[in-house]
Amino acid sequence: MDIFTVALLLSTLRLATPVALIALGETFSERAGIINVGVEGTATLGALVVALISFYTRSPWLALFAALVAGGLAGALHALWCIRWRANHVVSGIGINILVGGLAMFITGAVWGWRGTSPSAPTLNPWIIVIAGFVIICVAQVYLFRTRWGLRLRVVGEKPEAADTAGVNVHLTQYFYTILNGVLCGLAGAFFFNNLGRFTFGMVGGRGFIGIAAMVIGNYSPLGGLGAALLFGFVDALQMRLQAHIPNQFSIMLPYLLTVVVLAAFIRRANVPAALGRHYVKQ
Amino acid sequence: MTSDQGGAMAELAVRMEGIVKRLPGVVANDGIDFALERGEIHGLLGENGAGKTVLMSVLYGLYHPDAGTIAVRGRKQSMTSPSKAIRLGIGMVHQHFMLVPRLTVTENIMLGSEPMKGGLFLDERAARRAITELAEQYGLPVEPKARVEQLSVGHQQRVEIIKALYRGAETLILDEPTAVLTEQEVEHLSAALRKLRGEEKSTVFITHKLSEALALCDRITVLRKGKVVGTVRAKETSERELAEMMVGREVVFTVRRREATSGQETALRVEDVEADDDRALPALKGISFELRKQEILGIAGVEGNGQAELAEVLTGLRPAKSGRILLGGVDLSGKKAHDYIARGIAHIPADRQRRGLVLSFTLKENAVLGQHRNPRFSVGPFWQKQRAIGVYTQEIMDAYNVKAPSPSALAQNLSGGNQQRLIIGREFSKSPQVIVASQPTRGLDVGGIEYVREQLLNMRDKGAAVLLISMDLDEILMLSDRIAVIYDGRIVAIKDPEETDRQELGELMLRGAGEMAGRAG
Repeated sequence: MDIFTVALLLSTLRLATPVALIALGETFSERAGIINVGVEGTATLGALVVALISFYTRSPWLALFAALVAGGLAGALHALWCIRWRANHVVSGIGINILVGGLAMFITGAVWGWRGTSPSAPTLNPWIIVIAGFVIICVAQVYLFRTRWGLRLRVVGEKPEAADTAGVNVHLTQYFYTILNGVLCGLAGAFFFNNLGRFTFGMVGGRGFIGIAAMVIGNYSPLGGLGAALLFGFVDALQMRLQAHIPNQFSIMLPYLLTVVVLAAFIRRANVPAALGRHYVKQ
Repeated sequence: MTSDQGGAMAELAVRMEGIVKRLPGVVANDGIDFALERGEIHGLLGENGAGKTVLMSVLYGLYHPDAGTIAVRGRKQSMTSPSKAIRLGIGMVHQHFMLVPRLTVTENIMLGSEPMKGGLFLDERAARRAITELAEQYGLPVEPKARVEQLSVGHQQRVEIIKALYRGAETLILDEPTAVLTEQEVEHLSAALRKLRGEEKSTVFITHKLSEALALCDRITVLRKGKVVGTVRAKETSERELAEMMVGREVVFTVRRREATSGQETALRVEDVEADDDRALPALKGISFELRKQEILGIAGVEGNGQAELAEVLTGLRPAKSGRILLGGVDLSGKKAHDYIARGIAHIPADRQRRGLVLSFTLKENAVLGQHRNPRFSVGPFWQKQRAIGVYTQEIMDAYNVKAPSPSALAQNLSGGNQQRLIIGREFSKSPQVIVASQPTRGLDVGGIEYVREQLLNMRDKGAAVLLISMDLDEILMLSDRIAVIYDGRIVAIKDPEETDRQELGELMLRGAGEMAGRAG
């Protein structure tokens, strides 16, 4: 019974990590006023790229780096659409999800045959990413609320005019944190690959969207998002153990169902950044 | 004095020469020269759209001028951004505050020049200390730990001023600072500005209130249509002269009040109406009065005594819990806004941008709002007669002097005065029997105010009954045939403007009637 509890705890931490990383990334970009629902696709892109590079170079570290770069590029694309070309943030994000969906199907098919999965490739110990993730989130918490850059970021998403008149470069801030969001999604994607040892189609499984929900439930703070992700991870870990006892079609549903219920309870209390989704145009 | 230029030039805090700034469709600043001495309070006076705010935005680096030069303390500068302006000691308090409601006073003030400890972390305590010192030095009390959203408008303004001083402002630009303040707060602000002057700091005071400019400023520069009309010493001028400079012609300060000819027949009778406010607390507690044909009944009162709710109840926007609203013998209580419109009650709402217009719609769409079901403008539920609507809109624009590029322009692109003209045109074109006018001149410039008042009097003379709700006691005294004082959701007195004065009305507004209640009605 003791072993079961520790195993459940460890599995909770692992399952929570990608959700917490995506929640953190989205916290950064939404605090800067940029909604990115493309996190699902960005994480998928990270997982795909890490698998590809690891498969060809046999270097899991190089692959991890490539996943971060790919995530950052997806973030940069989103930032260009939303900031420079003033696209609707949600539409741009959905575009990224669709784009990556097609890309993943095409690349897995073209490179590895049309089975929707990669062969296994060298991986890192996924705990490296878990521990790194927790450290990053704690640092982010201090950064956001105790440093001048954190303060400036918070102001950009609340009232860009105030940031501008205080000498803060609004668009540069938005680019930076939207790209950072992409990098963190790339890291989350790299976790999925390193956890399973291969890329499979649909392996992100909605956890990008769950990450956005975790950010709202955690009220736009890094630690709050982590807490919400841990709750999700716990129920996910639990349902895997329940699969022996109840139909798995039902148990798989549980963490998602929980997310919907908790989100409904929390969303009205959330401090949504006042300028979220707005295009800031300098006179 | 280290300046190499010496003489009078060196004394100037700011010198702007030949400033030209074109904005879409208008030359907002057309070759403006402006000189600000050190240690003076300089009024910048002009109607809305005269270019006051644009000129100061150029100085503050928000706008880049198309031509002209700026010198700060004798040295030529190109003001590329607000942070450059801040570095040169220029601070601006905008009409719409640049504060983040959800952050604390301290966070708002230190933003952009945050004190640090250990090279990494914010030093909030140091910032709070500096803020408290400035607050005491200039008599501008603020609460450093409070969140801005919890503060009154006056308090927020003090935060804005301290924010500018915290960043080392030597020159302070205040854009319409008194528009949002109570009379007492205006006094405190004036005292603080005089203290700043005592320390050789300069203030630019943008306003369109003549009396304030005269009382507070050392010199006053008047702008009209993007040009400087002149700069005068406050001691050597008068309200009348300033008003003429602003408007470019003589201004009627006291509108003719013309004896109402009949004004005995009842148009609208309100009997014991009760209603709740948005928080479900009682706002109207049995209000009764009658509004006669061909009269203006002024509702005087301190804001928040039920005026907003009264206007909404009388236009069907807010349900009355009890009581009757009788228009020509028919009880309208419990009916919908549409029925009120159909029976000839017109409404000029207090918040013209939220209630009066749909800003993202065209003038055409706004002009037929409320009449969109009228067969003149629509065929069945699905088809609007675009041409008829366009012609009708153009008629309103011509008759009510709405300046806009075309009937298809968006309402949001109009100035405040033109927006109000459009609303008045829309409402008055329906030949209403009753007009509920809430704060009809708030935020308008002298010309706009004059126009709106003239229109209200015209409608009265044509026989309409006008309910004028205004926080501006002078306006009430000037226009009303009778004055009703509202206090705590009831009418506590009705006075003849010839037989009362500001003093008596002010006391009624503040304390209610008390023993006078018996005389109401």
